[in-house]
Amino acid sequence: MSADDPQQVPRAKGGRAPDVFEPGGWVPMRSHSQDEEVDFVIVGTGAGGGTLACKLAEDGFSVVAFDAGPYWRPLEDFASDEHHQSKLYWTDERITAGANPIKLGANNSGRSVGGSTVHYAMVALRFRPEWFKARTRLGYGADWPIDWQEMWKYYTEVEQALTISGPINYPWGPRRPRYPYRAHPLNEAAKLLARGAEALGIDWTETPIATLSAPKGKAHRCVYRGFCVTGCSTNAKQSVLNTWLPRALTAGAEIRDLAMVGRIEVDKAGRATGVHYHREGAWHFQKARNVVVAGYAIETPRLLLNSACEQFPDGLANSSGLVGKNLMVQLNQAAWGQMKEEVRSYKAPPSLTISEHWNYEDRGKDYFGGWAYMSQGPLPITWVKELAGQRGLWGQRLIDEMARSNHNVGLKMVGEVLPDERNRVTLAEETDRFGLPIAKVEFSYSDNDRAMMKHALSFMDDSLAAVGATERWKEWDDTCHLNGTARMGDDPKTSVVNADGRSWDIPNLWVCDGSVFPTVGGVNPSLTIQAIACRTADRIKALSARGEL
Amino acid sequence: MASEVDTAPRTAARLLAAGASTLGVSVLLDSAMEHYRGSFRNPAMALPLAASAISIAFDGSGRGGGFPRTASHSASVAIGLTGLGFHTFNVFKRPSGLTFNNLFYGAPIGAPGALILSGLLGAASDRLSGDGGALGSGRLLAGLAAFGIFGSVGEAGLLHLKGSFQNPAMWLPVTIPPLAAASLAVDAMTGVPRPWTTALLGATALVGTVGVAFHAYGVSRNMGGWRNWRQNLLAGPPMPAPPAFAGLAIAALGAVLLMRRARG
Amino acid sequence: MANRFPGYDVLAKRDTLSWNDKTREVIAERLAMSERSDLLSDRQRATLRTAIDRIVPQPEGRAPVNALALLLAKIADDGSDGHRHHQLPGLRACYERGLDAIEEEAKARHGTSFHLLDGSQADLLLSAIERGDVCSNAWGDLPPAIFWGWRLLPDIVSSYYAHPSAWSAMGFGGPASPRGYVRIEGDRRDPWEAVEADDGTLIPAARQNKHVG
Repeated sequence: MSADDPQQVPRAKGGRAPDVFEPGGWVPMRSHSQDEEVDFVIVGTGAGGGTLACKLAEDGFSVVAFDAGPYWRPLEDFASDEHHQSKLYWTDERITAGANPIKLGANNSGRSVGGSTVHYAMVALRFRPEWFKARTRLGYGADWPIDWQEMWKYYTEVEQALTISGPINYPWGPRRPRYPYRAHPLNEAAKLLARGAEALGIDWTETPIATLSAPKGKAHRCVYRGFCVTGCSTNAKQSVLNTWLPRALTAGAEIRDLAMVGRIEVDKAGRATGVHYHREGAWHFQKARNVVVAGYAIETPRLLLNSACEQFPDGLANSSGLVGKNLMVQLNQAAWGQMKEEVRSYKAPPSLTISEHWNYEDRGKDYFGGWAYMSQGPLPITWVKELAGQRGLWGQRLIDEMARSNHNVGLKMVGEVLPDERNRVTLAEETDRFGLPIAKVEFSYSDNDRAMMKHALSFMDDSLAAVGATERWKEWDDTCHLNGTARMGDDPKTSVVNADGRSWDIPNLWVCDGSVFPTVGGVNPSLTIQAIACRTADRIKALSARGEL
Repeated sequence: MASEVDTAPRTAARLLAAGASTLGVSVLLDSAMEHYRGSFRNPAMALPLAASAISIAFDGSGRGGGFPRTASHSASVAIGLTGLGFHTFNVFKRPSGLTFNNLFYGAPIGAPGALILSGLLGAASDRLSGDGGALGSGRLLAGLAAFGIFGSVGEAGLLHLKGSFQNPAMWLPVTIPPLAAASLAVDAMTGVPRPWTTALLGATALVGTVGVAFHAYGVSRNMGGWRNWRQNLLAGPPMPAPPAFAGLAIAALGAVLLMRRARG
Repeated sequence: MANRFPGYDVLAKRDTLSWNDKTREVIAERLAMSERSDLLSDRQRATLRTAIDRIVPQPEGRAPVNALALLLAKIADDGSDGHRHHQLPGLRACYERGLDAIEEEAKARHGTSFHLLDGSQADLLLSAIERGDVCSNAWGDLPPAIFWGWRLLPDIVSSYYAHPSAWSAMGFGGPASPRGYVRIEGDRRDPWEAVEADDGTLIPAARQNKHVG
């Protein structure tokens, strides 16, 4: 191990943090002592925590944000290699169970400063407005305690901050402002989605994505290298790592990388006093006036449950008993086929076109919820695992099929899974290298899920047939994203936090990540998580001004 | 006396020829790069290269007349018109047809237009060097140049919108040249060239020239910079494009000269 | 099947702008990887080697893929992929038990070691494991189909397709940074991408592929 290995030795310390835009570069960082009771400790620096750290620091609060992962400089640390780049994933052991155990790690959990956004597919979509009142307006799931019009404002803020490249006009939903950058050119896989949608008579559009179609500051525009979901080595990808966090550092936030928070301390009065964290081989304690948990839908409930103490024997913020419950993945089923022409979908971001038709159209469905589908560009390892695992190919048949990958075309859905308390995160008896009980995750598809899959797969298959794809097949088992497990709501009995992400039980304990989602909708969650974080920051500022923190 | 000889038509012809060659060079290099990027998928993609190369040779030689010359300029116009058809077809055959994305990334509609203009200006220059009579007033040429500049503004505007005007300098070609073209168009209608027009045309020529430097900087801003020239020359802002403004502005100055002469 | 990308070698681009320093470093390490002999028993390693040979046959006419070396390194780390099926033990223990069970299964069915079976016998046995249709009681509480689908198969195929020879054989562009791609439409390729045989171009793919870089 070398002294500058960011996976072994923390980089953000001694008054400086890595400059993500310069190989070997540094930027100054304010440091706080452990005895200083900082305004906010934030656990996790992904879409929720990283965004919140920036906004709170810009509002003048003192902030220390912890992340278990390394602090990368993408230009020098990222290889064009799927295998090596698995270093971006949260690969600590988790037990996966239920009737349909989900695969965790690669496509749904990140372990980096910047969180999963460092390897996300950059798809930046807004919720359909009705989803915020899914129970009342659409008859399923739960209502959010937030109004869509308010969210529309925060979506705009995030789209600007991430310089989203998107279409001039978006075909679905209420008007939204012009995306800051123009959409990218379409690769062949994207065009095939478009032609299929045209043939089936539904709308399609260029996917709004968080990767640059023109230069921005020190960040380059996209070079269409296609390794997006294994980390962007050019900084074209607009992740939390290279957007919110540089701003956070400028505003005075401190970020501690390779720092695993194991426990939140609560005093006799029932208020959080700080966090115990493991860094550089030892446990430390950071004092704080407020603690925000932003570890995503598995680590967040795990930390709350692992912080159980005398006053809160069932874990923190858990008087409703809902911490860890209502875990929602999203359906990620796909239809695939072969084209006569070379598609070479390894080029360019994988999902350049989308149809949200079935997010906005409810007629003709025998299930609740919506789904979108996007063009695909799987890299070799991802693809071979799907061919082997889902299509049952191995031996020479597998090798031969892989040799035809350049003609492969596919469409993948992001589909809404309904909240269900049986899908949950609990603690296993097994412990990790820090001595902390690991998470056990249980998940099973519901009948509603199966009905949606059936409809979506048949529709996507029709779309492929319409463009002349042959040897088509359906991938029935894949999921993406993680949400729920600490839902927000209006009632302490049926939710963990309120609309501001503030826990009902401990007034200075907050949650800010995908865990707070009461429902997930049929779109990728990162934009909504960041919008929620912006809203939470504004609410904290307002509460602080009124002396209600 | 020799000094009494009217030199204006010849100077105007030279300006027109210079403008046409500059425009021709821009078209040649731009279509060479863009059609190389398009892998010369259609053999017709080689035609504009040939046409502009031959026209440049004639325009550069400065000698008027002759059938081959006329034929070369006619060929430029014909190939330009054909290209316009191909490019329009290319845009419309893309998913959803006439959309911003297809205009951004499809075959550029304006580019074959530049080839047409280059042919027309070259032909005009030839006529002037010959007898000059028919084009003597310069008003028609001024109108043509104004139209050409407006076309280039449209093209630059579209492509700079594609680049989201990320650099403030990207506003230059959509502010100065349209003013010049508008002023020139007014002059063409009134037949009275104003000093303003000359100044604005000079500024337009300058925008076209410094544009190359800006675009070179744009190429360097891409990942890998100039070291990665095989990708970035094609992916970055097109370096041969801005001189089209310079070519049109220079030709327009020739037209202005003719208009001045016509007024005495 | 015939070589679809004759003459194409991703490694020929190693010193071009398609590879950055980090990529060169990690791929060089991977190519130099040798099979550890201090891990698992000789028999277990032989079983694993045979399973790999059957599941991902070596590419024709190309440098061999060292999938076993990569997989052994993973087993040595005894880490995780971020999840573990609740019916499976930890990584290394899972391999030790699973490979022993495959060996016992071969003995129970054929009276000989797995690595001594001929190809079709080995394939039939692996198919039986895939279906969960086993007769040896060496499996104990290790569910064969889950061992196959959640451990053995994904690990082996992903180790194989981490190797440049495998990328070349499938015409994948391979590493791409700082240089990415310009021509992203159908039936188009950049000069630094593989040419597929019989794609209708005049110049034979094998000759064009010599100049990819």
